Amino acid sequence: MTVKHWFPLALGAVVALLIPAVTHDNYVIQLLNIAILNAIVVLGLNFATGWVGQINFGQAAFYGLGAYTTGIATKAGLPWITTPFLSVVIVMGASLVLGLPTLRLRTYYLAMTTIGFGEIVRLIIVHWEPVTGGTSGLRAIPGINVFGIGPQGQIQHYYLLIVVLGLAASIAARIRQSSLGRAMIATKDSEIAAEQSGVDTTRTKLIAFTIGAVYAGLAGCLYASSIRFISPDSFSGTQAILLMTMLIVGGMGSIPGCIIGAVGLTILPEALRFLGQWYLVLYGLGVIAVIVLAPGGLASLASRLPRWAGAR
Amino acid sequence: MTDQTIITARGVTRRFGGLVALDSVDLDVPHGIVQAIIGPNGSGKTTLLNALSGASHADAGSIRIDGKEIFRLRPHRIARLGLARTFQNIRVFSNLTVLENVKVAAACNSPMSMFSIMLSTTTQRQRETEIESAARQALEIVGLAGRADDRPTQLPYAQQRLLEIARALASKPSVLLLDEPAAGMNMTESMTLLDTIAKLKGKGITVLLVEHNVRLVMGISDRVAVLDFGKKIAEGAPSDVQRNPLVIEAYLGRRHRHA
Repeated sequence: MTVKHWFPLALGAVVALLIPAVTHDNYVIQLLNIAILNAIVVLGLNFATGWVGQINFGQAAFYGLGAYTTGIATKAGLPWITTPFLSVVIVMGASLVLGLPTLRLRTYYLAMTTIGFGEIVRLIIVHWEPVTGGTSGLRAIPGINVFGIGPQGQIQHYYLLIVVLGLAASIAARIRQSSLGRAMIATKDSEIAAEQSGVDTTRTKLIAFTIGAVYAGLAGCLYASSIRFISPDSFSGTQAILLMTMLIVGGMGSIPGCIIGAVGLTILPEALRFLGQWYLVLYGLGVIAVIVLAPGGLASLASRLPRWAGAR
Repeated sequence: MTDQTIITARGVTRRFGGLVALDSVDLDVPHGIVQAIIGPNGSGKTTLLNALSGASHADAGSIRIDGKEIFRLRPHRIARLGLARTFQNIRVFSNLTVLENVKVAAACNSPMSMFSIMLSTTTQRQRETEIESAARQALEIVGLAGRADDRPTQLPYAQQRLLEIARALASKPSVLLLDEPAAGMNMTESMTLLDTIAKLKGKGITVLLVEHNVRLVMGISDRVAVLDFGKKIAEGAPSDVQRNPLVIEAYLGRRHRHA
C-alpha cells in the first residue's frame, strides 16, 4: 500500500465520520443511510457484472428478499440475530437456483432470467398481502438488536452502516487481490483463455453471482431493520436498473466507483428536488454525460487526475 | 506405450455442417519432443489443436494425455491435467496486469476457499506468494519480467504472444500447444521465439507447434505431421517430410488430383 492508495481511503473515512458532526438533520442522515445500503448492494452487483461481465437485473430482488425475510421474521417474533442468517440462506438458495442452469450458457441468459426473477419476487410481495403487507408494505419493523444491544437513532445507525460498508468493501478488495478475483476478470476478458488457463468459468460465474446476492441480502436485512419500513417500490425492476446505472456511472469493476456511484445517484434526486419535474431531465443528461465523457465511470476520472497534474 | 507417448489421439473427427474439418486423424507425440503440425490454410491445424485442448470438442475419437482420456472434458479440466496452449488470435486478459495474466494460470491447481480469502489466512497468503513467484518465473523465461506491472495492451504484438506463452507455462504443463506463435513477428522476434521454444524443450516440456510458415518449424522440430483437407497425409522427421511428394503437392497445388 503506497500513499497513492491509502490517502483517498483515509480522506473518505474522515469525511464519512465527520458528516454527522456537520448535520443533525435526521432526513439527511436517513438519506445517507439508504445511500450506504445501496453502495453495499452495488458492491455486490460488481462481482457478477463489473468483474465477470454477466448482466444481472436480479440484484434489487435479492435486496428485497433480504429485507422482507427480515421484516417478516422479526415481526413474527424471531430474535433479530437470526435475520442475517435467514436472509443469507434465502438469497443463496435463490441465486443458486437461478445461476446453476443459466450460468453454464454464455451471453445474456442471466440478464433474461434475472429480469423474470425480479418480476416474480415483486408479484409475490404485492399479492401475498397477509404476510408482506402488499403494496402498502411492512411498517414498524423491529430494529437491530443483538442480545439487548442495538443502535439508537439515525446517527448511530449511520456509524454502524459505515462500518458494514467498510467491511463489505475490504472483503471485495481481498477477493480482487486473490486468485478468485483474477479468475473473475479473466472470465470476463476471455472465457476460453480463462478455461484453458485452468479456470472453471462456470463455477467462477456462479460464485460471483452468489456473493453478490449475499451482499444484497445482507443489505436488505439491514435496510428493513434500520429504516424500519419496507415497500415493494424499493425493490422493483426500476430499482434494479437504477442499481445498474450506479455501477456504470461510478465505474464498472472499481470498488471506490461502486460507492461513489451509489452514494451520488441516491443523493442526487433529492438534491435536485427543487427543480420539480425538470429533475429527471437533468438527471438523465448527467448520466449520459458521464457515460459519454468518462466511459470508465466517475472512478476512472479520479484515477486520471494525477496524470493530468503530473503532465503539468 | 504411455511411457513414451504423451499425446495419443485416435480417429479424431470434427465436422462443421457438411464440411469434414478433421477426418479420423491419429497422432502419437513422444514425450519431450517438439512436434510440428503443418499444412495449408484451412487444412484443420487449429481445429485439431482446439480438439486436443477442449476449446471446441471433436465429434468422435479418443484423445489421451499421459494415458488419461480427455475426450469431451471441459477445457479447465484438461488444463489441470497438464495441457496448456496459446491462441492464434491473441487472447490476453486486458483488464489485468501482465503479472496478473500469468497468475491466473499459476493458480491452476490451487483450490480457492472463500473463507480463507475473506479472512486472509496464513495458508491463503502463502499460496499467493507461491503463485506470484511461479508467475514471475514464467515471465522471466520469456523475457517479460520487466513489464510485469504493465497492461498487456501496452505491449507490442510480439510480446503479447510471449505473454501468452508465459501464461501457458505458469500452469506447469507437460504439454504446450502453440498456435501459430510466430504470426505477426519479424525475423528477430521469430528467432527469439525459437530460442524460447528450445528452452522449453530443455525443461522437458513437450511442445506441439502449429505453424503456417514451414521454413520456420523445420529447424526446431523433431517430428512433423502434415494435414491437408482434414487428413494427415504425412508424418516423420522434417527432412523426410520435406521430400514427400504428397506434401509438396499439398503446398504447391494440384489438389484435385484425387477428385
